[in-house]
Amino acid sequence: MGGALFVTLMRWLLPIALPTVFSPMPLFDTQFFFREPAWLFGGLMGVLCFVWYHGVMDDWYQWARGIDTPEHHEDKPGIEKYFGPSLDHKVIGIQYTVTALALLVIGGTFALIFRTELAASRLQFLTLEFRLFEQNGLQLYNSLMSLHGMIMIVSILLGVAAMMNYLVPLLIGAHDMAFPRLNAFSFWVAPPAAILLVSALILGGFDTGWTGYPPLSAKAPLGIDMFFLGVFTAGWSSILGSLNLIATTLRMRAKGMTAFRMPIFVWASIATSLIALTATQLIGLSFQLVAFQRVLHMGFFDPDKGGNPVLFQHLFWFYSHPAVYVFILPGLGIVSELLPVFARKPLFGYKWIAMSSLAIALVGFVVWAHHMFTSGMNEYLRVPFMYSTLLVAIPTGVKFFSWVATIWGGKIDTPTPMLFVLGAIVVFLLGGITGPPNATVSVDLHLHDTYYVVGHFHDTLFGGFVFPFFAALYFWFPKATGKRMNETLGKIHFWLMTPAFLTLSFGMMRIGLLGMRRRIADYDPALGFDNMHLVLTISGFLIALSILIFFYNLVISIKRGEPATGNLWNSRSPEWQVVSPMPAHNYDVPFEVVGEPYDYGLAGSKYIEFITPKKK
Amino acid sequence: MHHTQDKSSALGQGVIIFVFLGALTLLEYFIAVAVNNTPLLIVVAIVKAALVLYYYMHIGSLNDDDHGAGHESYAYKTGTDRLGLWLFLLSDAFVFLGLGVARFNLLGLTRPELAQLFGLFVTNVLLISSFSMNRAETLMAHGDTKGFMNWSLITMILGLGFFVGVVVIEWHTIPAIAEPVLILFGEHAGFVPLTASGTAMGAIFFMMTGMHAFHVLTGLALLQVVRSKAGKGYYSAEKHWGVEAATIYWHFVDVVWIFFYPALYLIGKLV
Ligand SMILES: [Cu+2]
Repeated sequence: MGGALFVTLMRWLLPIALPTVFSPMPLFDTQFFFREPAWLFGGLMGVLCFVWYHGVMDDWYQWARGIDTPEHHEDKPGIEKYFGPSLDHKVIGIQYTVTALALLVIGGTFALIFRTELAASRLQFLTLEFRLFEQNGLQLYNSLMSLHGMIMIVSILLGVAAMMNYLVPLLIGAHDMAFPRLNAFSFWVAPPAAILLVSALILGGFDTGWTGYPPLSAKAPLGIDMFFLGVFTAGWSSILGSLNLIATTLRMRAKGMTAFRMPIFVWASIATSLIALTATQLIGLSFQLVAFQRVLHMGFFDPDKGGNPVLFQHLFWFYSHPAVYVFILPGLGIVSELLPVFARKPLFGYKWIAMSSLAIALVGFVVWAHHMFTSGMNEYLRVPFMYSTLLVAIPTGVKFFSWVATIWGGKIDTPTPMLFVLGAIVVFLLGGITGPPNATVSVDLHLHDTYYVVGHFHDTLFGGFVFPFFAALYFWFPKATGKRMNETLGKIHFWLMTPAFLTLSFGMMRIGLLGMRRRIADYDPALGFDNMHLVLTISGFLIALSILIFFYNLVISIKRGEPATGNLWNSRSPEWQVVSPMPAHNYDVPFEVVGEPYDYGLAGSKYIEFITPKKK
Repeated sequence: MHHTQDKSSALGQGVIIFVFLGALTLLEYFIAVAVNNTPLLIVVAIVKAALVLYYYMHIGSLNDDDHGAGHESYAYKTGTDRLGLWLFLLSDAFVFLGLGVARFNLLGLTRPELAQLFGLFVTNVLLISSFSMNRAETLMAHGDTKGFMNWSLITMILGLGFFVGVVVIEWHTIPAIAEPVLILFGEHAGFVPLTASGTAMGAIFFMMTGMHAFHVLTGLALLQVVRSKAGKGYYSAEKHWGVEAATIYWHFVDVVWIFFYPALYLIGKLV
C-alpha cells in the first residue's frame, strides 16, 4: 500500500515538476530562481505534460491521425480506476470530490495557521524574524491569507463540478456526459492547477490577496505567477466542464423529460454552467494581462504608460462576482432537491425556483462594479450598480419563500442530510440579508475592506456551498458505495460545525462594523478586539474538528458502513429506483418521465417508469 | 445536415456572400476615411459578422431536428458535437470581448498610427480565405474530396499569408522585411513602429493582434489535421464532421477580425 501510494504520488508530481523546474535551467547564468518567463512557460508545459502523461489525450491523438477508437472504455474494477483517466462520469465525479476535499483541507489548514496568529494582538509567531520559503512572518501571513482564498475557491469549483458530474447524467437518465474525453480532460487539468497554486507558497509567495490587483500584483514575488497559472488552468477545467454539462443536458435527456420536468438541480447546473462557460474567460484574461505586464513589460495597468489599474478590476470582477453564483446555485439546487424528500411534500413553486436560478445568473452579469465603489472608478457607475445588485435579492427571495412553503405543514424527518439542508437555509439567509448593506453605496464606503465583508461572504459560501455539499455527500454516499454513513457521527459533525460557524461569522461581522480591517496580520490592542479574535480562532478550530469527524466517518463508512443498496431515503428521483452502487453504464433499462418530479405525498403519482422491452 | 442545396447553387451562394463582404469591407474603409462615424462602423461590422455567421458558419444548423435519427446515429452525434463547438466559440468570444473592452477603456476614441492600406490588404487576405474555406467545405459536402483538398490548401496559404502579414510585417518583427513592404503600402519612411513594451496603446495592439494570430495558428493546425485525414479518404458527403468543425472555427477567426480590424485601424482619431 505504501509503495503503491509512493508510485502514484511520483506519477502525479514528476510530470509536472520536471518541466517546471528544468525549463529555467538553460538560463542558469543569472538569477536562476527568478527568471520569470521561464517559470511561466515551464509551469504551463508542466500542466500539459501532466495531462498528456496520464493518457487523457490519447484518443484525441489517435483521432487526429485518422484512427478511430472505441466509444466506451471499460474501467478496471476496484480502487485503481480512480487514479487513471476513466471516462465514466461517476468515477470522474468521485475524483473531483476527493480533490475538492483535499484542497478544502489545505485551504483550511492555511486559515488555521493565520487564524492562530490573529488570536491575540501583536505578532506571536509570524514575526519579522521568522523565516520560511524566503519570506518573513508578515510576508508568509500574506501568502497564506491570499492562498486560503483562492485554494478554497478552486476547492468549491471542483466540489461544484463533482456534484454536477456525478448527478446530472443520473438525474436526466443519460449513460454518460456528452463528451466523456473532454470530461476526463477537464478533471485532469485540476490536480496540476492545485499543485501550481500550492507551489506559489514555496516560490516566494505573494501579498495581493486572492484578487491579485495590480499594481501590487505587478510587483509581487514569483509566487504570483504560479498563482496566475494555477487559476488559469483551473479556469479551463471549469469552462470545459460547463460546456460538457450544457451539451449533456440539452441533448441527452430521457424520453418525456421536458424542460419543466427536469430535476431542479439540473436547472441550477445549467444556470451555473452558463456563467462558468463565459465569464471565466475574463478572470483568465485579466491575470494573463498582468502576467504579460510582468514579463513583457506591456503597460495595460501601468499609469506611467497610459494604462489603467481600474480596468483590471472591471475584467476581474466581471467573472469574480458571477463566480459567487457558480459556487452557490448548485448548492441551492441541492436544497430544493432534498427538501421535498424529507418534508414528504411537493416542492412549492417548481417553475419559480427553476426560473429564479436563471434570473440570478443573468442579473449576476451586471452587478460586478459593486466591488469597486471605493476604487476610483467613474462615479456615475455607482448608483446603477447599487440597484442592479439589490435586484438579486428578488430571485433569491423567491427561493426562500418556496423553501418555507415546502417545509410548511410537512412531515419532517431529520436525518443528517436534512440537518445540513436546514442549516444551509439558515446560514444562507444570514448571508443573504447581510448582503444589501454592502451593495448600498453609502454604507459600503464604511464597510469596504472590513471583517464585516469577510463575515458576510463566509456566510454565503457556507450556506450556499459548504452545508449543501455536505448534505449531498451524506445523501448520495449510499448511491456511490452501497453503504450509508454513520448517523451519530454525522449529527455530531452538524451540531459542532453549525454553532461554531455561526459564532465565527457573527463575530467577524461585529468587529468589522467596529472597524477591524481585513487582510492584516495584526491589530491595535487598544481596539479591544482581542477577546473576540480569540473566540473566532477557537470557532475556527471547532469547525476543523467537526470536519475531522466527517473524514473519520467517511473512512469507517467506506470500510464497514451499514449496507444500503435500495431506496434509502424513499426518493422519487430515478437514480434511487435502481440498485446501489450505480451500475457501470447507469440504467440497464431506460426510463421515461411520466409525471412531475416532486409530487411527494400525492397518491398514485409517478415521476418515471422504466421502459420494458415489448415482447414480439 | 444542412446541405439540402444542390452543389452549384451552394457554390453560387458562397460567391454572392463573398461579394457582399468585400463590398462592405471597402465601404467600411471609405466611411472611416470620409466621415469616421463610429456607430456606423460598428453597424457595418455587425452586418458582416451576421453574414458570415449565417451563410458561412451555418448557425441555423444548430436548430436542425435530428431527434428522429436516434441517439446513436452519426447525425445525432454530429448535432451534439456541433453544439459543443458553438459553446466553445461562445466562451472563446468572451476573451475577444474582454480585449475589445480593454481597448476602448484604455484608448477611448483614439487609435494608433498604422499603415492603413496594409491593414486593408491583410483584412482582405483573411476574407478571401473565408471564401475559399466555404468553397472547400461545400465541395466536401458533395463528396468532392479532391476539390476540398485544393481549396483548403488555398485557404491555408492565405491564412499563413495573413499570419506573416501581421506577425512579421505589421509587428516589425524583422524590420528588414517589414519596412520596405510597409513603405510599398504607403507608409512614410522613418515612421516609428508601435512596441509592446512602450505605451498602453502598443500593449493593447500587440495583445489583440497576438491573441488573434494565435487563433489563426490553431486554425491552421486544425486544417492541417483535417486535410491529412481527408487525403486518406476519411471523409464523405455524409460523414465529414471534422471538415465542418475546422471550417466553422476558421470562419470564427475571421469574425473576430471583422471586429478587431475597425477597432484597431478605423475607429477613433489618430494620436
Ligand atoms: Cu459581488
